[in-house]
Amino acid sequence: MVSFVNSFQAELLKTKRTIAFWMVISGAFFTPVIVTTARLIQHQTLPKLYASPEFWISHWRSSWESMALFLLPLGGIMITSLITQLEYRNNTWKQLHTLPLSFTTIFISKLSIIIVMVLAYLLLFNVGIYLSAVIPYLIVGDVPYPRLNAPFHFFLQQDLYYFVDCLPIIALQYLLSLHYKNFLVPTGIGFLLWVGSLASLSWKYGYFVPYTYDMYTYLKSGVVNKAVIPEVNIHWLAILYFIAFTMCNYVLYLTKNAKG
Amino acid sequence: MSCLETIDLVHHYSPIEKVLDHVNIQVEEGSIYGFLGPNGAGKTTTLKLILGLLKRQQGSITVFGRPFESNRVAILKKIGSLVETPSLYGHLTAYENLSVLRKVYQCPKENIHTALDVVGLSHTGGKKAGQFSLGMKQRLSIAMALLNDPSLLILDEPTNGLDPNGMIEIRELLRQLNKNTGVTIIISSHLLAEIEKLVTDVGIIHKGRIMFQGALQELKMKQQQLQSIALQTSNNVMATEVISKMRLTSHIENNRVILPALIKDQIALLNRELVNIGVDVYEIRHVSNDLESIFMDIINN
Repeated sequence: MVSFVNSFQAELLKTKRTIAFWMVISGAFFTPVIVTTARLIQHQTLPKLYASPEFWISHWRSSWESMALFLLPLGGIMITSLITQLEYRNNTWKQLHTLPLSFTTIFISKLSIIIVMVLAYLLLFNVGIYLSAVIPYLIVGDVPYPRLNAPFHFFLQQDLYYFVDCLPIIALQYLLSLHYKNFLVPTGIGFLLWVGSLASLSWKYGYFVPYTYDMYTYLKSGVVNKAVIPEVNIHWLAILYFIAFTMCNYVLYLTKNAKG
Repeated sequence: MSCLETIDLVHHYSPIEKVLDHVNIQVEEGSIYGFLGPNGAGKTTTLKLILGLLKRQQGSITVFGRPFESNRVAILKKIGSLVETPSLYGHLTAYENLSVLRKVYQCPKENIHTALDVVGLSHTGGKKAGQFSLGMKQRLSIAMALLNDPSLLILDEPTNGLDPNGMIEIRELLRQLNKNTGVTIIISSHLLAEIEKLVTDVGIIHKGRIMFQGALQELKMKQQQLQSIALQTSNNVMATEVISKMRLTSHIENNRVILPALIKDQIALLNRELVNIGVDVYEIRHVSNDLESIFMDIINN
């Protein structure tokens, strides 16, 4: 456990000033900035919008649209690939593998840092959602503060679902990034799977594609006509995929002949 | 006592390509072991196997008296290494690169300053390692290898990319470290001349096989044994007959008669004999094989 904590701290330090680090921040605030700007431009519609009892739900949904369909899957692909490929790009696998750490510790601490980065991505996005609701209220006069309190329990549950649904993306991208030296291979495959996921949303077996779950979670709570919503529990499917990909990755990593 | 021992290491990258062929090396504690061989001889493969970067296929590796694989983490705690090209995080500063390793080794913070001072990089401040010259990267890699005060230092061609002055500084640094801390050092190179002033023991590998292993002194004795005299005469065949009558062996090579090293009186006697039978002597030259030519002789044997 002590060596895991040490290794995790080392991994955390490595993310300093990386593209993945800046991507977490810029990706998380991208949609909230767009929403805020659009509202400030169309400020005359705000009093009515903010007075609605459905304000928070509608604000949440409009914020999550681009996130669930594009930014979260693509962010998951990029963050995972960038963090893992850091070692290939710097020729540091051999350095990492000659440190007094078990291969299991190295594997888990790298996966943990990716998960933490994705969690930070979601957390900052939530902060962005809140700010994009509050900033127009503070700047534009005559805009009332949303009448009902934000349904935090619902938001938290949705966040959890989106995170769980993102896990297969992290696991498969981690597997690809760990085994292919060329950065274009994991990102290219990830991008193709994302496009395939968008295309398979209207297919009745689309839920077998592991990159679709965030999209389904968003679509099933509203715009159902765009997709065939599966009747199975997609969150459990996401967890199963995550475990399967991670186990497969772990075995491949341990049995790899050359580690540097 | 042996610090590192490999027994019958065999390694293939493909079924037909045997990269290492029963490699046995033995490194004594406190020694500086020069691991020599031309490019592609198997030096890096051997060092990677010792560090666990390649999966062992055949043979055994013992470090600090313990089998490597079953004690990997404990052994790596006491090893510092630099394998081939520098292994650094280009987006981090020299200090941050060392901090990453310090988190794992859990060594005191002062070790970072000491290591940077030792390799002369304490002035680099906020400059990213990616902006360093190759020589600076090499120095930082050496600092990283020294960070945990290792008992065994494995350096694969550590002076690559360094200018002559840098090479001398690194050699001096390693010599001082060995002298002051007793650290055992394995240093690989394809140039004997580069490390002959540093090492105490030598292992020479060629085409995956160990061709020589022993103290540097043994290699130097070989050098003395291989010293010779070269004669250039008007009739080399007659000259070899005269030499044979003096109960000495000789052969003709590149229009010169080559015979073992002689004392001054013998050289004078030989010269007189040759002149007496009418053979003109144009040149008598003492041929001193340097260690590099011994090395070449061993690998070309």
